[in-house]
Amino acid sequence: MDSGVMKPAADVAVGGGAAAIKPPTGLRVIWSSFSENKGAVIGLVLLSVIVMMALFANVIAPYSPLEQYRDFVKVPPMWEAGGLRRFPLGTDGLGRDMLSRLIHGARVSLFIGLMVMAVSFVCGVVLGLVSAFSNSLVDTVISRVMDLLMSVPGLVLAILIVAVLGPSQTNTIVAVTVVFLPRYVRLVRASALAELGKDYVTSARVIGVSTLYLMFVTVLPNCLAPLIVQSALGVSEAILEAAALGFLGLGAQPPTPEWGTMLADAREFIRSNPWIVTLPGLAILVTVVSINLVGDGLRDALDPKMQRS
Amino acid sequence: MLLYLFKRLALTVPTFVALMFLTFVAIRLVPGDPVEVRTGERGISPERLAQFRHDLGLDQPVWKQFGDYVWALLHGDFGTSVVTNEKILTEFATLFPATVELSLCAMLFAVLSGVPAGTFAAVKRGSWYDQTLMALSVAGFSMPIFWWGLLLIMQVAVKWGLTPVGGRIDPIKFYFEAKTGFMLIDSVLSGQVGAFKDAVRHLILPTIVLGTVPLAIIARMTRSSMLEVLSEDYVRTARAKGLSPMRVFGLHALRNALIPVITVIGLSVGGLMAGAVLTETIFSWPGVGKWLIEAIGRRDYPALQGGVMLVSAIVIFVNVAVDMLYGIINPRIRHG
Repeated sequence: MDSGVMKPAADVAVGGGAAAIKPPTGLRVIWSSFSENKGAVIGLVLLSVIVMMALFANVIAPYSPLEQYRDFVKVPPMWEAGGLRRFPLGTDGLGRDMLSRLIHGARVSLFIGLMVMAVSFVCGVVLGLVSAFSNSLVDTVISRVMDLLMSVPGLVLAILIVAVLGPSQTNTIVAVTVVFLPRYVRLVRASALAELGKDYVTSARVIGVSTLYLMFVTVLPNCLAPLIVQSALGVSEAILEAAALGFLGLGAQPPTPEWGTMLADAREFIRSNPWIVTLPGLAILVTVVSINLVGDGLRDALDPKMQRS
Repeated sequence: MLLYLFKRLALTVPTFVALMFLTFVAIRLVPGDPVEVRTGERGISPERLAQFRHDLGLDQPVWKQFGDYVWALLHGDFGTSVVTNEKILTEFATLFPATVELSLCAMLFAVLSGVPAGTFAAVKRGSWYDQTLMALSVAGFSMPIFWWGLLLIMQVAVKWGLTPVGGRIDPIKFYFEAKTGFMLIDSVLSGQVGAFKDAVRHLILPTIVLGTVPLAIIARMTRSSMLEVLSEDYVRTARAKGLSPMRVFGLHALRNALIPVITVIGLSVGGLMAGAVLTETIFSWPGVGKWLIEAIGRRDYPALQGGVMLVSAIVIFVNVAVDMLYGIINPRIRHG
């Protein structure tokens, strides 16, 4: 919006002669602002590695994440006394290769995070726009339901849903989506309402475009910036929440190599085999940190109103 | 002010009705018959089964069951545990002080270390300290606290032997009546030598674990809000007057910088309850969080239902209270 207003003024000031200097395109502006942020770039690099691990888990992982090497139970990582080169990060209580399980765990966690993000993004956009565009009754109903979902503490609501549906990876996605949905709905609704009062919406209405067109083509693109930031940060929160459910025994069920689930019975190894406890949590931490760094960078780049401090 | 309070409270009514509906429906969606769960594997005669069904009100139409449920809730009856046969409210009330004690300590820890850390980072903006603190705060914010807890147990409790592994007090050395339910107070009241110290030792690790995420958020929030305030005219004036930096930062700036921080503290009550579930599970802390998880394991659905209801109600009321507090702390917010 703003750039559209500014452009003619800039042209006048520079004059016709400077036509060779093209204004930077949208993506390039975002990237240049993003790449200024050291943390965001580090996060992006880390995240790319994790995504690669998830995508090519079958190729990279030396063993199957489920195969139990009964002769090599609780082998420590190779840099510790008694470690074997065959199992660089050691094996767990059932003799499964830790490295392979962690690599496959990236796939599970990212899948859960992305699914939650995608479903709540789509549902959030639809419900939020419907709420903003429709009459007060529909708006009230949607808003009240979202208020309700927000009044129950996130993890407690997820626990309730999983307790009812039964623990599984799919139900984890359902539960965490329900927990995060209200934020998207509220965000879309609020920014759509703010846009609705603006002149370009009125003019589009005067031209006579259909409501659906107005919702998704005219208004939605102008609400996207905060939504993208929320989605990026939402992935990391979803991964944390899913791992917490897994840890409580209410998420993905064994033998799925989900990082949280791997920690669920790690307690018994605290005294004897610390790497079984340390490594899955470290994987969660690194993944969540990298996504959060990228999300922070995106926020600074996409939302100039939120100054970096 | 009073009018605003009533308005705010009135607005919670629809939420409560919906909450009752949610918990009511959720429990009915659970696969399996609650009566059969109760009777066990050997089974009982059809007459007793029918009697059970009648006692639980399960032979009534669903709308009447919901009506009865709401009626009971309004009379403070949150149901009866199918495992212990105790009233849910009684069980909750005995365990809740443990959760409150832990949450308060965690919040205190987060505020007492987060506010000075954030203030100092803002004053020394761009310094080595500032950058380290911000990096740590990202890590703290992203921390899977259940893992953080295990890690601390592994290092501090098991390897170094500095703190106990779990629980609230050493039950072999100390035994006394729970007068208030708050172990720190009870241990002093008991008059037993070393009891208070032991209670504190048990609190240290859970407090750190539960306080980590709020600490990261508060440090970050204090820093950015402090930076904003530091560029205000009145801070420049205070400096120009020649006041000591301590007075400028600590008194003039920090006071105003804390308003958004207090908002964050208020908003994190729900997060604390969620975090308490994990923290209590790791440290065998006998609070409502651990109890909720155990209720699922024992298929004690009335306990889960009542527990979720009570936890949510408390969070809703605390949020109203926090809203009211803003008006007192920040006169710029006028409750009309």
